[in-house]
Amino acid sequence: MSASYRYYDIRRVCGEVTQIDIDNGKVEQAGSSFFDKAIIRVLGEKGWGVFAVSGRETECEKLSDKLLDEAYSASQVTNVNIRIQETPSSIHPIPALKENPADVSLEEKVAILLDMYKATEGEEIVSRRINYIEKDEQVTFSDCLGHSYSYDLCRCGFSVMAVASRAGVVQMGYERDHTISGLNIRHRHGLASQAAERSKKLLDAKPARGGVMKAVLDPELAGVFAHEAVGHASEGDLIKEGSSILKDKMHQQIGSPLLTIVDDPSLPEFGFCPIDDEGSETKRTEIISKGILQAYLHSKETLTSIGNGDAGHCRGMAGVEPIVRMSNTFIENGDATYDEIIEECKSGILLKGSRGGQVDPGRGMFQFNAEYGFLIEEGELTTMVRDVSLSGEILQTLHTISLIGSDLALHPGYCGKGGQTVPVTDGSPHLLLDKAIVGGCEID
Amino acid sequence: MRLIDEIFRAAESLADETEILYASSESIGADLKQDKIAIGSKSRSSGLIIRVITSGKIGVSCTDNPDSWKQCLTAALASAKFADPIDWKGLPSPSDIDQKPLAYDDRLTLNPGLVTDLIERLKTGSEAHSADITSGSASVAWSEHTIANSHGLHYTAKGTQTHVSLEMIAGQSTGYESDSSWNLDQIHPEKTGEDAAFFAAKGQGGEEIQTGTYDVILSPVAISQLLGAAIVPALSGRNVHTGRSLFAGKIGESVAGETISLIDDPMDPRGVANCAWDGEGMPVKPLKFIENGILKSFAYDLRTAYRYGETPTASAVRAGQSGAPAIGNQNLILKGPESDVLAEKGIFVHDLIGAHTANPMSGDFSVELSSPFFASDGELQQPIRTGMISGNIFDILHKITGCSTEARTLGSMIIPSVRLSGITVIGRG
Repeated sequence: MSASYRYYDIRRVCGEVTQIDIDNGKVEQAGSSFFDKAIIRVLGEKGWGVFAVSGRETECEKLSDKLLDEAYSASQVTNVNIRIQETPSSIHPIPALKENPADVSLEEKVAILLDMYKATEGEEIVSRRINYIEKDEQVTFSDCLGHSYSYDLCRCGFSVMAVASRAGVVQMGYERDHTISGLNIRHRHGLASQAAERSKKLLDAKPARGGVMKAVLDPELAGVFAHEAVGHASEGDLIKEGSSILKDKMHQQIGSPLLTIVDDPSLPEFGFCPIDDEGSETKRTEIISKGILQAYLHSKETLTSIGNGDAGHCRGMAGVEPIVRMSNTFIENGDATYDEIIEECKSGILLKGSRGGQVDPGRGMFQFNAEYGFLIEEGELTTMVRDVSLSGEILQTLHTISLIGSDLALHPGYCGKGGQTVPVTDGSPHLLLDKAIVGGCEID
Repeated sequence: MRLIDEIFRAAESLADETEILYASSESIGADLKQDKIAIGSKSRSSGLIIRVITSGKIGVSCTDNPDSWKQCLTAALASAKFADPIDWKGLPSPSDIDQKPLAYDDRLTLNPGLVTDLIERLKTGSEAHSADITSGSASVAWSEHTIANSHGLHYTAKGTQTHVSLEMIAGQSTGYESDSSWNLDQIHPEKTGEDAAFFAAKGQGGEEIQTGTYDVILSPVAISQLLGAAIVPALSGRNVHTGRSLFAGKIGESVAGETISLIDDPMDPRGVANCAWDGEGMPVKPLKFIENGILKSFAYDLRTAYRYGETPTASAVRAGQSGAPAIGNQNLILKGPESDVLAEKGIFVHDLIGAHTANPMSGDFSVELSSPFFASDGELQQPIRTGMISGNIFDILHKITGCSTEARTLGSMIIPSVRLSGITVIGRG
């Protein structure tokens, strides 16, 4: 029966995850767990059959016919002919770790975090928490065309949360940093105390006033904007399904001529993919170039089906079939300075930090929330505001970008799609939007 | 089970108490891409969680390869070394609990025909309105779990689950719906399909709305997202005792309109995964969080209850990468004055974009509307193009003026549509 498949690949991810949770001075948890998952994909006479099993079941060198038969039999319910094309397959080197977290004992990590925890102390601070996570993954892949690769990658990072309270008002400050370059928790008191300071300042911040206004986005929030408003809508699977407003917009001017947006999985940042999860080489894809839509993000299947863009953007969680995803997504530098942007804004709002966002790419609507902001009055920052969000229509908003800074910065995070969460970075320089719909808890 | 006995024997001299959770599951599914099935899937997995307690120090580890239980036990013992000790009062002893499965339907077998039938029923339902399918899915799963501890507690339950979802589009108007149940008779793919098609087809040609204060009707999907963003975390005993809950110190006080109640009823027959015990083997029972507007209690797992001298409420759930129990709920039920929430004029909101970005501490939110309509006379009337709502989730508990008679099960919540008065809507008109 195995002879009836047109293609197969298998990806196994095994490893160890270490988590430390320090909550209000108490070590609530510090330990490791283990995972070993495999996903087998077969292209049957029509569509895909995918089979998720324990990695252990795939241990023998050659994939057993029995597992392939099971994946093939899963494909029997499909009723559409799927084609995939071959793509270049080569792997980027894994950057060396500055300090390998595996070489540092759990005991020492706990001690470092307890020390960092001290930096979150302060008057009016009523709750403090530090979480550390470290994931060591060994990835192996092979397909029926003879491609195979394996690599080890360690992702680690931490988050600090502080809550301040005064007279019934409760506010939270939150900072995090995640990396692929090795242990990043030493000498981070600065970031920890920032979380505490922020929570206290937010007690005095005013609720934001909603309405249509000029808005400046800081690099972190502008990165989320690039990710939510443009990145998702350029994913080849959504284009193919007809659920993206960027369908039929190829080579059209869809935004300000100042705007260039890139997704680059080959960059050694938190969203780094040395090769993608179906064995395609990864490289920089310029989604929007000077405001013109130039490329979609693709898997082998979506590239074959709709073209325009690059494969190498197909990613899956351990044990789950890969789908089209972003990795390191950013807006390229422009030439404005930060001061010019604030001055040019004159009257509006500066939005800083991110509490996340969401998009409906078919409808072309996005929403995201800043951690805090400042009113801009007569070209200067004035009152601090909290709970300020921004939403809008993708196509309208891209045209309203009137200045782009030259201070590009990337921020690590996680992105969810189709029930799968993958590590990413988002980034941008400061941006000025001429017309933004800002949501706040007060209105005129 | 031999594996479990073997682990208990190995751990006996190394820890005061040991707990083992062993789970296995299998599933099959199919994914629609546009109106054709493009992916057929199967899965088979098992997992083992070992928790040890020695002198009030808790250690936990998990693995998805039960054969390597020795590595897992060693890691659990190692992790206990670093944990801060608590005044631990013991894992539960066995009780006379009925182990009859409460969420198991023997008709839900891993038969591909069942899955393709669910897909066909979704598609049939979707034909009620003129819109195109972009993607969809149907799946059937079987699972079994055993929880056992060194006091002789040993419970096993099997369960089934079926799930369907459909995303549709008409022009630039999207519609999304899903349904889940353990019971083949309680999943309604035709309705899921029809509703997804309705929101896509009828959402076209919406008008902008003026910024102002309106009566707003939130669907179960929309209100459950807001409750999940701030109210559920504020009811967690851990957040209450660590300074992260606005409800802290407010037991006995009014926190919602006087007709509003919020209860966790683990045995409510509408639940999707009812089980007679929680994630630590504690027998479950109803827990009144809010009764007629008055805050009555918080949720505790064993660790949090013991640490802070509270009574455990059997509120442990097992999720997350470490395998450790966390505080959750089984079937969170919102109750209020029943009425036809669409009878009077108002703005109906089917879904929200970005509800997870609400401030979890203060409850302040401003989020974009998805599938909003003007409603009156018991029906949805004209679609609204775009808009945001903003406010405070804790205040919303005081602004509920009516709840629909019918409630919908969404994961671990059973929630009606709610009518709210005096809600800020930011329009682009």
